[in-house]
Amino acid sequence: MIEHAYLIPLIPFAASLIMMFGAKEDPHSPVAWIGIGAMTICLGLSVSILAAAAGGQIPLPYEHNWHWFSFAASIGGKSFLYDMPIGVLIDGPAAVLLVVVTLVSLMVQIYSVAYMHEDTRYKRYFAFVSFFTASMLGLVVSSNILVGFMSWELMGLSSYLLIGFWFEKDGPTEAQKKAFMTTKLGDSGLYLALLFIFAKVGSFQITQIHQFINNGYMTGTVATVIAIGILFGAMGKSAQFPLFIWLPDAMEGPTPGSALIHAATMVAAGIFVVARLYFIFLAAPDAMLVAAWIGCITAFMAAAMALVSYDIKRVLAFSTVSQLGFMMCALGVGGYTSGLFHLTTHAFFKALLFLGAGSVIHSVHTNDMRLMGGLSKKMPITFVTMGAAILAIAGIPGTSGYYSKDMILANIYYANQPIFWIMLGTALMTAFYMSRLFILTFWGDDRDHEKHHHAHESPFLITGPLVLLAFLSLVSGYMLNRDDLVYRLLAKPTISAQAPAGHAPVHAEAASADAHAAPALSAAAAEHAEGGAHHEGHLPHWLHLALPFLVLGSIGLAFTLYKGPRYALADGLKSTFAPAFHLLDRRWFLDDAFDLLVVFCDKVAAVAFWIDANVVDRVFVDGWGLLTRVFAEISNLIDALFVDRTVDGFGGLSLDLGVGLRGLVKEGQVQEYLMYVAIAFSLAATLILTR
Amino acid sequence: MTAPLTLSHYMIVAGLLFLIGVFGALTRRNIIGILMSIELMFNAANINLVAFDRFLHPEGVTGQALALFVMTVAAAEIVVGLALLLAIYRGTDTVYAEDFNLLKG
Repeated sequence: MIEHAYLIPLIPFAASLIMMFGAKEDPHSPVAWIGIGAMTICLGLSVSILAAAAGGQIPLPYEHNWHWFSFAASIGGKSFLYDMPIGVLIDGPAAVLLVVVTLVSLMVQIYSVAYMHEDTRYKRYFAFVSFFTASMLGLVVSSNILVGFMSWELMGLSSYLLIGFWFEKDGPTEAQKKAFMTTKLGDSGLYLALLFIFAKVGSFQITQIHQFINNGYMTGTVATVIAIGILFGAMGKSAQFPLFIWLPDAMEGPTPGSALIHAATMVAAGIFVVARLYFIFLAAPDAMLVAAWIGCITAFMAAAMALVSYDIKRVLAFSTVSQLGFMMCALGVGGYTSGLFHLTTHAFFKALLFLGAGSVIHSVHTNDMRLMGGLSKKMPITFVTMGAAILAIAGIPGTSGYYSKDMILANIYYANQPIFWIMLGTALMTAFYMSRLFILTFWGDDRDHEKHHHAHESPFLITGPLVLLAFLSLVSGYMLNRDDLVYRLLAKPTISAQAPAGHAPVHAEAASADAHAAPALSAAAAEHAEGGAHHEGHLPHWLHLALPFLVLGSIGLAFTLYKGPRYALADGLKSTFAPAFHLLDRRWFLDDAFDLLVVFCDKVAAVAFWIDANVVDRVFVDGWGLLTRVFAEISNLIDALFVDRTVDGFGGLSLDLGVGLRGLVKEGQVQEYLMYVAIAFSLAATLILTR
Repeated sequence: MTAPLTLSHYMIVAGLLFLIGVFGALTRRNIIGILMSIELMFNAANINLVAFDRFLHPEGVTGQALALFVMTVAAAEIVVGLALLLAIYRGTDTVYAEDFNLLKG
């Protein structure tokens, strides 16, 4: 099946085109099932690839390239022929992510059939979702980072379209612009990194770049610059500090679309690209450290903001940012496997959380958690499935989040203690704010009787995906962690300064052999191999035992503060620590900071414009023009006075001479003519002969 | 003892003959005399032709053959010239060149 992997992005792409251009707009159109059918086929393909890879029937990575185009260029007098193939590269992370993306997208689409059923732009919504998924799948399978970048940008476009789906309102329009421009800011970094890669390596093929580094051709500085550029792109796409400002606003889009953005596509792309080009980071320890700190700061700041928000979708958005911070931090400290593991498990429970929140919003028609409460009786399935997701994201032992988050924390613990304690606190905050969301929404008694009265359980098309995702949220961690499957599938790439080593060794033993042979370049690889990946995946025993109790304590705290319809205790805290709440409510003033930055840039631009108009234009451009004109006038005068007169003088002289000479000749005398001819001829002959 | 004849001798003779021809053509009033002088110039050229041929390409007779052709053409030309002269004489009753200025500009 893996040889048909190229179909995985193409099928939903075709489906989106068919839906967009082949169908009429109709709120009850069956067109959505085209997208769902396409995604089902992709899911089947992806699952078969993953199953075969996990079972060891097909060796990974699998790469197959087709000719796309080639071009010649001459650089410094030498001419080079560049070959640009297009192809698929399926390694372990790609195989896992294919299943995650197609599965979440399928669930989202099935869910959306019910959720969007009265929307006037029904088919367009499904076309966008398919297009979005196709872009993400294109990024995942592409063996060529240039094609990956195109998919990356198409994803930016899709997110723009989905966030601003209800463009009649101001909120979505502003949010879509903000998201697009913020992510473009990050993309510029990635773009520069790609240019740098091509300038250095001469290829966009991921395996060739890896080979290039393996051969030790890339210096640490270059690798650091490239890695920082890639990191910047990931900061925009995966909403890392300080570019995460777009993600909370992205909540203006349709809720299933948010689920897609937050679980499977957009935000996963940044992490995935960092993981895909992880070997560059391995060659740049400084960039790794930056990534770790960025992830850490992001995780903490976002979790803090989630503590105080009352908008159910905003809390989830902050939680996404925070969890992405966890992944970035894990990648930064060398926890490749744990970062991608968390990406996988997070996709399931975050999709579930968003779809569950959508179900709630669908039912009570508000985002404000203060108006909810007591919904557990009205919406039992949503209640139970959301509960499963909360357990998973909080990290209750046995759920998927427990395995992946535990592994991340363990990786961080052995790499960087300061970050570890911050991240531990963040993990506890996660448990707290998710429990808070859960309690405010479902627990206790209703606060708004009107809304509560109208609340109802959602139809099967909505609850079905919830149940499946809840199942995956609970067991996917255990399934992947069993027999160290996750270490095999998501094996950390290695780099070595040795001569061609082929593909990255899968086992830590092989990596350690490489590391000993080449101490210079593979410090990170050595670190990875030292204790063996398996050791790093476990916290010290006492912490391992204490962590669940800390999480439970955190959940208990949330219950104490927010139970009951009035949650007076929490309000009391809020008035005690009003400045801190205000800071978090205003999102750390980051939006204001960016506003100030934009205003400042605008001022700078205005000054620059004034200088351009008044100094550059006046003095240089106009002055130069004037000077040129003066010179031209002088030149014209010289031409008229001297050059032209000389020419005219010679002309007149010749004329006068001719007329004068003609007066000498007696006209009509043939012998006289002949005499002049003879004289002229003998003169000429004399001149020539005596020369 | 006499020095052998060289190309220069022939050319001097031809040059003198040509100058005599030029002198005659410039000074004779009678058109018949002018025509005869032109014939002299022709013959000077002919002598050159034959002499060059003899001294530069002694193995062939191309130049001598060409000289014969020139004489033939000259004879034909003189016929035309005399015919024109006859026509002029009949029209104007004169054979002096200074009286012919019909083409004067």
